[in-house]
Amino acid sequence: MQWACHNPAMLTFVAALACAIALDAAPDVLVSRQLAARAHLTVGDTVTLAADANGARARTFRVAGVYEPTPDPMRFTAERIEGRLHLPDLIALTADPHDPASAESVNTINMTLAPGIDTRRFIADLASQAPGVTGWPTARSRDDDPFVVLDRFHLAISVVTVVGSTAFLLALMVIRAEERRDTIAILRMVGISRRSLLTSVAVEGLVTAIAGAIFGVALAFTTEGLVNRIFQTRYDTALVFVRVTPALAWRAVAVAAPLGIAAGLAASWTLLRRNILSLFRR
Amino acid sequence: MTSLGLAWRTARRYRARTLLAVAGVAIIGALLFDMLLLSRGLLASFADLLDSEGFDVRVIASEGLPAMRVPIPGSADLADRIRGMPSVRDVALIRMERARVRRGADRPRVVTLVGRTQSGVGPWTVVRGASLSYGPVGSARPSGERDSASLPSERGDCPVVIGRNLATAFALEPGSSLDVTATPAGIASALPSVACRVVGLVDFGFAGVDEYAVATTMDAFEAIVAEPSHGEADLILVASRAESGGGAAAARAIAGLRPDLRVYSNEDVVAQFNRNGFAYFRQISFVLSSLTMSFAFLLVATLLTVSINQRLGEIAALRALGIGRRRIAAMLLWESALLVGAGALLALPLGGVLALLLDHILRQMPGLPERLHFFVFEPRALVIHVVLFVITAAAAAAYPVWLTSRLPIAATLRREVVG
Repeated sequence: MQWACHNPAMLTFVAALACAIALDAAPDVLVSRQLAARAHLTVGDTVTLAADANGARARTFRVAGVYEPTPDPMRFTAERIEGRLHLPDLIALTADPHDPASAESVNTINMTLAPGIDTRRFIADLASQAPGVTGWPTARSRDDDPFVVLDRFHLAISVVTVVGSTAFLLALMVIRAEERRDTIAILRMVGISRRSLLTSVAVEGLVTAIAGAIFGVALAFTTEGLVNRIFQTRYDTALVFVRVTPALAWRAVAVAAPLGIAAGLAASWTLLRRNILSLFRR
Repeated sequence: MTSLGLAWRTARRYRARTLLAVAGVAIIGALLFDMLLLSRGLLASFADLLDSEGFDVRVIASEGLPAMRVPIPGSADLADRIRGMPSVRDVALIRMERARVRRGADRPRVVTLVGRTQSGVGPWTVVRGASLSYGPVGSARPSGERDSASLPSERGDCPVVIGRNLATAFALEPGSSLDVTATPAGIASALPSVACRVVGLVDFGFAGVDEYAVATTMDAFEAIVAEPSHGEADLILVASRAESGGGAAAARAIAGLRPDLRVYSNEDVVAQFNRNGFAYFRQISFVLSSLTMSFAFLLVATLLTVSINQRLGEIAALRALGIGRRRIAAMLLWESALLVGAGALLALPLGGVLALLLDHILRQMPGLPERLHFFVFEPRALVIHVVLFVITAAAAAAYPVWLTSRLPIAATLRREVVG
């Protein structure tokens, strides 16, 4: 859980590389990949940091490493120009010399509760023992999660797409059934029952639908990397935008199969219900 | 018979497939139309929401929306200086605080309490009752001056306007009373309640769907939060004069007064929103528009091609009767236009209904202002919709036209008819 009143500390770099000579006494700083690229920083460089734009109380740090910021879907459009310091270094850099309490203050305390502890109860106890602090769980409930809403939105769009595709599929099947009119008439003439013909149409529809679904899933699998790469480049993030999971693949097949059978049967039934002579246009 | 007449007869002859194709185009077209509405809808709605306040410049102390309030130091003095600028028509100071509202024995509700100085326009629409009264509207007055000689708590005067959510929760009407207790975030407080009087029920522009909001005068607000009369505002709203260069010019001038503050014109806010918050919807709109158009093109082209392959004998016969290639091509173009045109036309009302449904889904996002919409109709969306479908109809007919224009009449007749 997170115990917070503010965003995580983040500093503005007012001066990038000061010189190429590393100072042994300089404390370490980690810089984000994006910042390293923007300021042309490499491990071992020395940088000057200050907490305000005027550069007051600036300090020198040594770049100890470059890290990839944890992808955050809520901030994927934000430029991750970030650095990470040890907490004492950060406090020394940002504390107000006229306010002794500022050297003992933090914005956020992250904590992991012991197993079995109820988060809500813990937050309530905390609020009663330390008035003025606000606690909230890091796990979102379904009610306040925007991604649950986006999921519903995507589902609605999928349903519309499936309905539209079904109409087209039906139209194609009707044309195909019309093409087979003479064949069906002959098959009926030689004694093959409506039931057998319907079964064959259903099997054909099933095979076609499953083949189509497998092709679609394969297409999604193969383009997944491309789509991710485009968006990752566009937003300079490691966030994964598209992931074709086995569950999704199965869902696609499960939706396609009955639709294919139904479309095949519906289109063929218009011919099969007629008597043999009318199939021969008599 | 004209090409259109021939196409119409074909459509009627193959009624089932025509209806199914039109239905398919209508559904896919509805999705395309919705994506066009989405492509700028949230931006247009957001810009409209900002403009509806009547102010076009915002002054804040810090970027973003921190959980703790970030007051503007010396905001009353700054407001007076801004008001004195020739490019400025009106200035309002805004303060916001979390509060608890209680009425009788009902369970108290957590509300967003807004305090506001006098100005000509309010960021709310009165549904019932009246708005907050400050005296003659538009009378310029230094912000340091109060709305009355004494504090509201001393006079027992705390007029409030409330959102419809709160009115429903507490069954409040204009004239009802309620107790408001400030509960500032991040500090321990035991402030007393202040008895307030509901003067009106309003629709707050920026309040969330599930949010309870209460607005009052700045005097009453300061009484509720028990702060002296020169408290620092969280936000300064400025209305510029159009003849002096509008919001952008006013924002630049105000930024020159106080470089430590963030000053944004409405255009800046919308541009920032376009870059950050709106990026996802712009992308999904573009991707889905492209996909739906490709989908519609492929399916109509496939339908027409399969249909033409089935009617090769018929077309060869028409050619043998003396109907030229050009008329056959025109007939196929008309067939495509009838399918796509009818579908695209039906897509508009269908898309409207679908947009309402999708908007309803997306507006369930937490913290979204009640008046913000994702799907907003603009004439340009209709124009793009029509243009895209004209291109689709022409492109979908291209291959069947090419196929029929190269059709050998005698060989086709022999194969299709005699065979």
